[in-house]
Amino acid sequence: MTDVVAKLQTLVPEVTLLVGAVLAALLGLSRRKQVRDAVPWVTIATLLAAMVAVPFFNQLDGTTAAGLLMPMLGGTFKLGILAVAVLLCLLTVGLVDRRLEQAFATGRAPFDAMRTIRGEFYAFFLLSITGLSLVCSARDLVWLFLALELTSLPTYIMVALSRGSRRAQEAAVKYFFLGAMASAVFLYGFALLYGATGTLVLTDMRGTFALQASTGGVSNLAVIGMILTVLGLCFKIAAAPMHFYAADVYEGAAAPVTAFLAFVPKAAGMLALMLLLGTMGWSGHSMIVDSIGFRQPIEGLPQPVVTVLWMIATLTMTLGNVGALLQRSVKRMLAYSSIAHSGYMLIGIIAGPTTGLAAVLFYLFAYGIMNTAAFAVLAGLERRGEEIESLDDLAGLRQRHPGMSVVMALAAGSLMGLPPLLGFWGKLYLFIAGVQAGHVPLVVIAAVNSAIAAWYYLRLVGLPILSRPSPQSETIGNGLSVWPRVAGVLGAVGVIVLPLLLRPMFDTAALAVSGYAKADSPTAPAGTLAAKALASESLASEALASEQESAD
Amino acid sequence: MTASTPISLALALDVYLPVGIVVAMAILFAVFNLIATKLLGPSRSGQTKGITYESGMNPVGTARKRFNVRFYILAMTFLVFDVEIIFLYPWAVGYSQLTPRSPEATLFLGRIMFFLAASVVAYLYAWRKGVFRWE
Amino acid sequence: MTSLSLHAASLAAMASDQASAAVPAAVAAPQLAWAGWILWLPLLSTIACCLCAAFRVRGKAPAVITVAALAGSFALTLALYGKVQHGPVRIHLFDWIDLSWGSGAGINSLTANFALYIDSLTLIWMLFVTPLGTLIALYASEYMEGDLPARGGRGYARFFAGVSIFLFAMGSLVMADNLVMLYLGWEGVGFASYLLIGYYYTRPSAVYAAKKAFIMNRIGDLGLAAGIWLIWLNFGTVEYEGLFQALAQAGSDESVGGWSVKAIPFLLMLGAFGKSAQLPLYVWLPDAMEGPTPVSALIHAATMVTAGVYLVARMYPAFLLHELALPTVAWVGGLTALLAATIGMAQYDIKRIMAYSTVSQLGYMFMGLGVMTSFGAVYHVFTHAFFKAVLFLTCGAIMHGFAGQLDLRKLSGLRRLPGWKITAWTMFVGCLCLAGVPGSSGYFSKDAILAQAFVTPTPDGAWSFRLLGWLALFTAGLTAYYTFRVWFRVCAGPVHFEAGDEHHGADHEPAHQAGHAGHDAHGGHDHGGDFHPHAPRLAINFVLVALAVGAVLAAIPYFWPAYGDGWIQQMVSHSSAAAGVPSHGAEGAASAAGEHGGSHATLLGFDPHTAMYVVSSVFGLVGIGFAAWLHLLNRKAADALRARLLANPLTRWLPTAMENKWYVDELYIAAIRKPLWFCGHLFALFDRYIIDGVLVDGTARLPKALGRLFQPLQSGALQGYAVTMAGGIGLILAWVVWVWMRGMAL
Repeated sequence: MTDVVAKLQTLVPEVTLLVGAVLAALLGLSRRKQVRDAVPWVTIATLLAAMVAVPFFNQLDGTTAAGLLMPMLGGTFKLGILAVAVLLCLLTVGLVDRRLEQAFATGRAPFDAMRTIRGEFYAFFLLSITGLSLVCSARDLVWLFLALELTSLPTYIMVALSRGSRRAQEAAVKYFFLGAMASAVFLYGFALLYGATGTLVLTDMRGTFALQASTGGVSNLAVIGMILTVLGLCFKIAAAPMHFYAADVYEGAAAPVTAFLAFVPKAAGMLALMLLLGTMGWSGHSMIVDSIGFRQPIEGLPQPVVTVLWMIATLTMTLGNVGALLQRSVKRMLAYSSIAHSGYMLIGIIAGPTTGLAAVLFYLFAYGIMNTAAFAVLAGLERRGEEIESLDDLAGLRQRHPGMSVVMALAAGSLMGLPPLLGFWGKLYLFIAGVQAGHVPLVVIAAVNSAIAAWYYLRLVGLPILSRPSPQSETIGNGLSVWPRVAGVLGAVGVIVLPLLLRPMFDTAALAVSGYAKADSPTAPAGTLAAKALASESLASEALASEQESAD
Repeated sequence: MTASTPISLALALDVYLPVGIVVAMAILFAVFNLIATKLLGPSRSGQTKGITYESGMNPVGTARKRFNVRFYILAMTFLVFDVEIIFLYPWAVGYSQLTPRSPEATLFLGRIMFFLAASVVAYLYAWRKGVFRWE
Repeated sequence: MTSLSLHAASLAAMASDQASAAVPAAVAAPQLAWAGWILWLPLLSTIACCLCAAFRVRGKAPAVITVAALAGSFALTLALYGKVQHGPVRIHLFDWIDLSWGSGAGINSLTANFALYIDSLTLIWMLFVTPLGTLIALYASEYMEGDLPARGGRGYARFFAGVSIFLFAMGSLVMADNLVMLYLGWEGVGFASYLLIGYYYTRPSAVYAAKKAFIMNRIGDLGLAAGIWLIWLNFGTVEYEGLFQALAQAGSDESVGGWSVKAIPFLLMLGAFGKSAQLPLYVWLPDAMEGPTPVSALIHAATMVTAGVYLVARMYPAFLLHELALPTVAWVGGLTALLAATIGMAQYDIKRIMAYSTVSQLGYMFMGLGVMTSFGAVYHVFTHAFFKAVLFLTCGAIMHGFAGQLDLRKLSGLRRLPGWKITAWTMFVGCLCLAGVPGSSGYFSKDAILAQAFVTPTPDGAWSFRLLGWLALFTAGLTAYYTFRVWFRVCAGPVHFEAGDEHHGADHEPAHQAGHAGHDAHGGHDHGGDFHPHAPRLAINFVLVALAVGAVLAAIPYFWPAYGDGWIQQMVSHSSAAAGVPSHGAEGAASAAGEHGGSHATLLGFDPHTAMYVVSSVFGLVGIGFAAWLHLLNRKAADALRARLLANPLTRWLPTAMENKWYVDELYIAAIRKPLWFCGHLFALFDRYIIDGVLVDGTARLPKALGRLFQPLQSGALQGYAVTMAGGIGLILAWVVWVWMRGMAL
């Protein structure tokens, strides 16, 4: 009982988010405009409340920390997630159902609860964040799968709701079916991992893999399972070969939702990758006590998995950047850039603890901030109620929208990795981690890619600031709501100011993954028994029994 | 979830060989039948062969007809309660066997209460949404 | 590898007086964290000024904020001096960069925290940077009035934001605890300078000058960056504290060497020469006078340009790494001083003359560093900051009052004009100091450098320091001549003036259009006749007097608290600038004879320090005499002399070349810019036809061709994507299994 209470306590932030989602869903159906207008602020208040709750309810004791592969991950990175979520939520204020609300307000249409989508949108927003938050504290594969689905399912609907056009609906359908396919792939991977270890709990899997590694290598089944899992999760992080949907879906959704898509599922996928690869451990970091009592390094990630990750990282960076080069639509360009950034982050994933994973967490946070700022410019400006999309719309923005042009320039500069800005430090940490782990060729590839990327990011810097206004950009006005622009300015300020807090932020990121590195000797329960069991067929039935046990 | 004992199984792919054989046999059987009918049976076609029910009534209109969306909404609302009942039955059976006021019983009660609360929220939402109006 | 410490060793032998030991170890002083506000105040002021600009504040609020913030910084600097005296102390403000990688013996780390390293050298710099900044901001509050929004201007707040951020950057540069933070400040002052030179951004010449300054500085900065990198590579740290220890060991360690160590001083030197406008990178500074005059006074005369001197003084131990490093510094400085003085002699624009004199005086400072009197160099920085600020600000006042007139042929007898007395006489004080008239502060600081050139023995392989000394003496004469040429022309003689041409003059500042709107309203704007110069008012006059008094009083630290061992001397000898320098007693004139006692190091048979007082006076007075004859008593003679020189084909080149600045700009354009231009066009063609035409378009065609190949899959159709994704997964899995089964290493 107390065990359950203690575990539930660590979930107070998620419960807060859930309650907020319910509130948002119900309040959004109110007849009164003031109440409906309050829904985004209820959402932000919920996010802030959850943010406050995170440090309070994350005092892990032995029992609650025991089942966690990276015990510190939840208490630290959730703060970053929620901070970015606040920015993302500001971005949506007054945008998602603008036409409908205008019609209600002007009396062109009577209020229709069936047609209003405000409550649903923000409820799904919070549910998706809840899912992402749950990924951080996943203990077992079932939890992880459910959390990942909770992250993704609302996003499919958010895409469809985000604007009334058929393009959004087409994007949503594509996103849903391809997402379901990807989920099937990594679910199959999970099944194979379970088949290879006989357990669903991540820490126990780690022990089993360590044992297998020390007695002849991780089983082939697990290797195939891990590769399938990684490939499936590639959909979430928009990495090759699962990246095809990104451009279409990002373009179809409204800009605030696109910003959401670029951060939330990506963060969920990265965290899941960290946890799952963590079960096998990275080379040279994990030790095991063998039957004689000597501590021996275990092999770590099997070579095929590393090679596949390498291939994915290289392909992702290159395809993303080359794809972005050819785009005329800013949203498509940012979609491809999002793909490329996943490739950079995979370097940290490959490099492993502590620096590599910390660098990934830091980069995710930085990416969330700078990407949101970039999308805020698209969300904050409009032409007769239509989003701005093409590069021509941005030309000479400084003349009429000096603030937004600077925000775009800073965001693009940071995404490019221009030295004093936040993105540069993120990239630097990733590259350092890559070099430390001995993946110099990968870092070189990434550096070449960064150089290629500079070409299109510089267009985003230069067009608004330097070039002359085009006929298209003359007709662009401010959006209805000021809040997306506020979010943009906040993001841009963050891009400049946060580098001053580099040390504390990176230390926090390192702290988040430190629990993994500390758990040096994974528990290998009944080592000799299990060793004997290696040859025994009869244990298959035992595995079945334990599965039933764990199912209830 | 109780911590299950991790068990290492030296499961190589060969363990799945029987399954693979069965799958292959199933596919082969289907393919074999299709090919066999194509090869062996006579193939005739004509207007009479092409109608939907060769020896029954002629179909009227298209089968891809649109139903009013309210049917679906109502059906889904019904599902909320249906699923609730399905969960409540086993719960009630299990709950009666627990020691009253024991921690397990409280936990059990708490769980179902959470579930009911969620259902109530869904119901409230549906009501506000106007699902139960039929005009 | 004895050469590392050779220079220092030879000095030690010469003076029977060991070279100062390593830099004293610094004490951590967390209780002094309030010193951070010396930096934060200007930073806050920058933000406040930006807000003023954003909200279009109409009044003088930006000036008030800036002056208050800078005055606060000055007060804090004084308080810090009271607490620290000599230091060095380290004040940690916050963690900034702290990386480490590798393990065991191969561990590398890069630590550069946002921390302050306060020693006496830092304090000297801050003690003239902050008060000068305050006074010049005060001066600018009146000078920039024409740009107030109330008068239709747009730049008032922008100007003060620039000044504030400059002070922040300069403070970071001077008080930095490590080379990375110094570099941050170094780039920061360059950035502020770029902003302020290009302040009148509607004027092409100002934009051009700003770009020129920026690019010239980049060349130097490249050297500095490479130098810092090599330092980190060789010594493993960029923090002064650890670095000075490492350098002290390197001095005695025979095994330290190799080109990467030897190159350090030369790379640092390149950075210093760029920032401090020395040969060959000096050409940006005269053009930088396109900025508003207070900027010229603050940044391009008194403070920023001395950053190079600071760098050399701060990294003095590093300059002992190569025996020819300091002689190079000395000769570059001496030659720059001579070249700039000859150019200054022939110019007619008084602000430009002052600009060349700044280049020339900076040359003296580097010469002082090169001949191992860091005291002389630092002291000259200190005195020069005051008297050159006075001179620039008086030029500014004249320009302000005479509608942009700066031609010394068109201004005369200012001291007799009502309202201009203070300007004329403060300028006189400045001229006395610059010319090095006996008794003035410039006299003592310059003599300290000149005399040391005759004292320090020339290291093997370097050009003679004695020759350099004579050259510098000759330059001192030229300096006195061109300085007083300005004063005699502009302030003395019969009253006569012509207003500047507001609409075409290169040095005209738009501020005056607004400022003279009233004059223009009455019957047009004629040259001479109807033109009424408007004399400076309270703020400008107050600042001029305060700075002139400062320039006079700057002589005191030479004598007080002890003659020849004054305050500056004591301060310098406690800092890293004293590394390798003979202990300071050897420099005092009084004690020099007794301690040296050798047959070498004499000037005309006397001890150089004693003789220099007389010799430099003679040179100075001769220069002033020429100036008085040609420009006060017999102005026609000057024109006649010029005409005769021009008439004679053998001497024609001399005035022409001097007036055209020895054609250095033209040389650079011909030798560097034109070839680069050509290469640029060549590369552009290469880029357009080979890179763009073949590679890029070709590469772009490749994906297009591939795209056409896979068109059925990439039509945006859901099934297409699903098949492609599944195909990708299938391919990867098939590849893994295939390679695996064949037993190959993945």
